[in-house]
Amino acid sequence: MKLSVLIGVFVILLACIVALFAPWIAPYTYDQQDMSVILQPPDKDHLLGTDSLGRDLLSRMIYGTRVSLSIGLFTSLVAMAIGTVYGGVAGYKGGWADHLMMRLVDVLFAIPDLLLIILITVVIGREFWGIFLALSLVSWVSVARLVRGEVLRLKEMPYIEAARGIGAGSWRILLRHLLPGLRGLLIVTFTFRIPAAILSESTLSFVGLGLAPPFSSWGVLANDGWTAMRFFPHLMVFPGIAIFVIVLACNLVGDGLRDLWEPKSPV
Amino acid sequence: MIKRHFVLLLLLLPLIWLSSCDLQGNHINDLQTFRMAVSSEPPTLDWNLATDSISIRIIENLMEGLTQFDQDLNPVPAVAKGWKVSEDGKTYIFPLHNSISWSDGKRVTAHDFEYSWKRLLNPATAAEYAYFLYDIENAYEYNSGQIKDPSLIGIKAIDDTTFEVRLRKPVVYFPSITTFTATFPLRRDIVEKYGDHWTDPANIVTNGPFLLKEWRHEYSLTLTANKDYYGGRPKLDAIRFYVIGESTTALTLYETGGLDMVSLPPLAIPHYKKHSEYSHHPFLRGYYYGFNVEKPPFNDKRVRQSFSMAIDRTAFPEILKGGELPATSWIPQGMMGYNPSIGLSFDPAGARALLREAGYPDGSGFPEVTAVFSTNPENLLIAQNLQAQWKKNLGIEVKLDNQEWKVFLKTLQTNTPPIFRLGWGADYPDPDNFMNLFTSTSGNNRTHWKNREYDRLVEAAAMEQDLEKRKRLYDQAQKILTEENVPIMPLFTNAQNLLVKPYVKGFRPNAMDITYLKDVWIER
Repeated sequence: MKLSVLIGVFVILLACIVALFAPWIAPYTYDQQDMSVILQPPDKDHLLGTDSLGRDLLSRMIYGTRVSLSIGLFTSLVAMAIGTVYGGVAGYKGGWADHLMMRLVDVLFAIPDLLLIILITVVIGREFWGIFLALSLVSWVSVARLVRGEVLRLKEMPYIEAARGIGAGSWRILLRHLLPGLRGLLIVTFTFRIPAAILSESTLSFVGLGLAPPFSSWGVLANDGWTAMRFFPHLMVFPGIAIFVIVLACNLVGDGLRDLWEPKSPV
Repeated sequence: MIKRHFVLLLLLLPLIWLSSCDLQGNHINDLQTFRMAVSSEPPTLDWNLATDSISIRIIENLMEGLTQFDQDLNPVPAVAKGWKVSEDGKTYIFPLHNSISWSDGKRVTAHDFEYSWKRLLNPATAAEYAYFLYDIENAYEYNSGQIKDPSLIGIKAIDDTTFEVRLRKPVVYFPSITTFTATFPLRRDIVEKYGDHWTDPANIVTNGPFLLKEWRHEYSLTLTANKDYYGGRPKLDAIRFYVIGESTTALTLYETGGLDMVSLPPLAIPHYKKHSEYSHHPFLRGYYYGFNVEKPPFNDKRVRQSFSMAIDRTAFPEILKGGELPATSWIPQGMMGYNPSIGLSFDPAGARALLREAGYPDGSGFPEVTAVFSTNPENLLIAQNLQAQWKKNLGIEVKLDNQEWKVFLKTLQTNTPPIFRLGWGADYPDPDNFMNLFTSTSGNNRTHWKNREYDRLVEAAAMEQDLEKRKRLYDQAQKILTEENVPIMPLFTNAQNLLVKPYVKGFRPNAMDITYLKDVWIER
């Protein structure tokens, strides 16, 4: 294993631990306001400084890890599940079913993600679940395309034809023969979806459509911070670094996994 | 291949040229252009309908009414040459200048005032500021549909240059009311010809120092000098109002020379306090949260009292850093009737006791409520602080929702949220303007609260000539408003924190944030 992959895994594990044990690690709670320490630069009481309401930035970032990571993880899982089933069925069935299903995908693809997400959050609300559902529902589309393409290729392979020749049913072929063939692609796509989802959540929060206050995620913090950028750069810089590092780590791991499963991949 | 690219490039060139032209603006001498930011698109430029400070800021440079304010906020004649009051104080005669013209050359007559005021009162117009004229005979009756005949209202153009107003009671502040945008004259022919589009730059007809030249939606409004303005052409050639939602963006533009004046966002104030371009001014503007008293749980006044008592208002100047003045009473400092001892002071134990009495011990069983405010960094900070204080002192988790200004105004009208943020800036420097707001007939009272005793006190105070007695009446009314019934919880009085470029001359901010720009010029 390459060093870069190990570093990536280490960072992700560390982030997961921080997220799981947030209440024990964080020196303050995410919404505790203290009027006597408004907009303090980093010092020994507040290692990363405080915001406009005297809330400890470090604590808000630690709690924000929970939101950012879980949104990244869960939306990717849901997107993968929907995308795999949808793309798998379309690719395997072929014919008019494939045609119809993929045209729907084309339509969804043509609508800008942000627009769909805004629509969904307006209906469901800007709670955790609203954001989570909105992101899941827009991100399965690209997965479905990838999976369909791969299934189209695999189902013409001699071993599938052989399976069909000895009388295996559709489900058996899908589950026992096609799915294992997809494994590499799925895992790699999954590791790349996570940082994409984290970034989407940040973007959403950054444009003011993310989690409603007082909850924090890295995107929310970056949004709060950028207006203060000129006078209190710490508010923007630390959440920015956090987003950068976790996205980089996920990508490093994803690269490593791809090399592992697809050694001959030209990219 | 190369040839094809070249052709494509040739085709693109005019496009590039066109778009760069657009950025150059349209042939206005930039040396005498005053540029400032407005935080959102003005919802309307129809002065009968405008209720918000952004629309009003633009209209007050396009139009003039019977009177206007001088530097000390006293009403002085404008389109009117002056005014005569009858012995009983109930009839006002406004003789008009006969040389003032509209931007299309027609003369401004008393009939334009009569039309405008009757349109303001017409129930079909649904103007929220209609109640401003309720002191006039039969105005309320007409506006509320009790009488149908507008000729019964005490408003009459006797001839082209004589405008008569009959009041149902003497009110001391009437010439101040006629400074207000909603009472400006209006051209019937224009409104009837263009319908809803009469305020478009191509259609609008105005009589003030500046003309509406261009309105690029969500981007900018350009006003140019009216060379036929009766008070003499203003020194500025043009005013540009840029629609800039982010106050820090506006600040950056100011610093890079893109704006000539800017209002400072909270975060930046400490950094500019010593700056030579910085100035701080008191502001007759109250910041409050209102309750929808018709919807549970806020239909119980104990809950409203409890919410108000749970707030430590000393936090606000700490957060906003702009010299805000915490307030539990409603009439702002600097106005007659100001009495800081009125209102519910911070008392968490008392607040919890009231909440228990109302059936929600320690906040348990309290329904989910959402506080709604308009999108703005200052509002967001205050909302989050209130949310934290309510959670800490009452055990209630209030949800927050922010809406864009225009959407928010619509929400308030159609589906008033249980708790909402609003502010009120003085339209005229008399306590009546603040107290009148929450009477049962006020179109700007969003709380759905109606209280006969309060209405009676406010009306009596408006007629009272004796200052001491008048003050006592307002004290009583304020107690009902902020202690006993609490349809609103006042939080603080705003202050103005401005940066103005040194080359801007003649700019004098006042406590009402009226920016008549006709006396401003630029001297580089």
